[in-house]
Amino acid sequence: MDGRIIVITSGKGGVGKTTATASIGAALALEGRRVAVVDMDIGLRNLDVVMGLENRIVFNVVDAVKGKCKLKQASIKDRRIENLYLIPASQSDNKNVLSPEEMVSFGEILRKEFDFVLMDCPAGIERGFENSVASADEAVVICAPEVSSVRDADRVIGLLYAKSITPKLVINRIIPEMVERGDMLNHIDVVDVLSIELIGLVPMDDQVIIATNTGNPLVLQKKSKAGEAFRRIALRLNGMTDLPIEVPQAEGHFWRKIGTKLGLGK
Amino acid sequence: MKKDEQDNRSIQNGPVRLKGVGDSLCVTLDPALPVDDLQKELSFLFKRCATLAVNAKVVLDTGEKEGYEELIEVLGAFLKSTFGVGSVSAMLKKKRSPDPDEKRSPDPDEDIRKRDVEGSWHHYRSEVLMLMGRVRSGQKVTAENHLLILGDVNPGAEVWAGGDILIMGSLRGTAVAGQPENENAIVLALDFQPTQIQIGGIVGAGLPPSSKKQVEFAHVENDTIVVEAYLEANTFGRMPWLQVR
Ligand SMILES: Nc1ncnc2c1ncn2[C@@H]1O[C@H](COP(=O)(O)OP(=O)(O)O)[C@@H](O)[C@H]1O
Ligand SMILES: [Mg+2]
Repeated sequence: MDGRIIVITSGKGGVGKTTATASIGAALALEGRRVAVVDMDIGLRNLDVVMGLENRIVFNVVDAVKGKCKLKQASIKDRRIENLYLIPASQSDNKNVLSPEEMVSFGEILRKEFDFVLMDCPAGIERGFENSVASADEAVVICAPEVSSVRDADRVIGLLYAKSITPKLVINRIIPEMVERGDMLNHIDVVDVLSIELIGLVPMDDQVIIATNTGNPLVLQKKSKAGEAFRRIALRLNGMTDLPIEVPQAEGHFWRKIGTKLGLGK
Repeated sequence: MKKDEQDNRSIQNGPVRLKGVGDSLCVTLDPALPVDDLQKELSFLFKRCATLAVNAKVVLDTGEKEGYEELIEVLGAFLKSTFGVGSVSAMLKKKRSPDPDEKRSPDPDEDIRKRDVEGSWHHYRSEVLMLMGRVRSGQKVTAENHLLILGDVNPGAEVWAGGDILIMGSLRGTAVAGQPENENAIVLALDFQPTQIQIGGIVGAGLPPSSKKQVEFAHVENDTIVVEAYLEANTFGRMPWLQVR
């Protein structure tokens, strides 16, 4: 059976696309699926750094798309997790070296090799976005609980619908204490405006920075709340659609479980 | 079917309908039909009330579209020569005015419109673009005349209309109504929290967000945009008669 290509996007930068791509990809591979994570941020690659694989790059996604190398040669095997492969961005090119048409054909090749392909989309809605979305079957929109991030996510959701892709929502960088004080947007308000299916709520977590700096997978970090949230998102994408969404709680509270239907209406 | 019944049906539902209103005969007709057909229908109707028709004041209603002066002249001449009617005039066209006080004109044709509520809308149509769904950030929806949305307008989205804007949901984006210069237009939303409102050339920015969950609408009063609770103000409910908007 052909694999699924999922684009991880947000419009705005710095909300956690790369973190989400690495973490969800790792969690899916731990479930036994063959996974490729593709860094589409041509010219500003960093998924390789987050995954601790930068010293192994020989070929990159541009080489693979242009046929300068085989897909196998551009796929870097993860150091710890079986079945997880990184296809890195090229650092020297700019985003216009690839076209959406080329990406569609490349997607056909990827689908044959992998169960899941996660495209780490660059910020913005220009060529880099077009390329990342071109071959995608599905989309996960990452949104931070900030007004400007919601605005950009909304814009991207409109563009995705225009391409007949139904996006799913992940809210990242939630600080429960601030939400409780009313200083941060509540996830319910975000879902109310964006009105798409919610598949995960990820808290702000120091472990993310530690994992990034050491190049270790966040989802292998036992005590990481963000890692746990990303793992649950991966499970939901992998078919456990009735897995409840946990709302991050301030220290000292138990995690509260809420219904999975949350994303579908008020 | 008896002959009589057939005639009655023709009067009620045909392309030409006749009605006695006050001291006038009001004739509603479809101006798109060929003149020959219209004359045939008119003959049919006027023969049935031949005595009433003599010297009668006849008003021809061709619906809201303009530009049928010639047709009315032709039909008028026909009615005068064939049935000896007194005068033939056209029904006044609609005006865009939400202010009922302005409408108290002494014109008798207007009076007919006022009283004749159930029948005379046949050839009238308000142009409304009705959509359902959600207008998202970065999207702009434009309507030549009125715009009605069953759904929400998100922050960063814009809705733009030549006439009124009615949002059956949350309005959180920007609404631009009455373009380019109809300051009688309104913007209404069940949940009224717009980023910005413009009506005609008047911009209302930084409107205070209302805390109450109630239907509100914006309109222009003395060159400023005023937001009111719709049901409380009941501006349109207080109008004494129906009008096309
Ligand atoms: N849940 C989180 N908790 C703490 N830091 C986070 C979290 N998600 C992302 N970050 C941090 O935010 C920054 C931006 O994340 P990144 O994944 O690079 O975003 P993007 O790819 O959307 O630009 C990084 O420094 C990352 O470590
Ligand atoms: Mg990134």
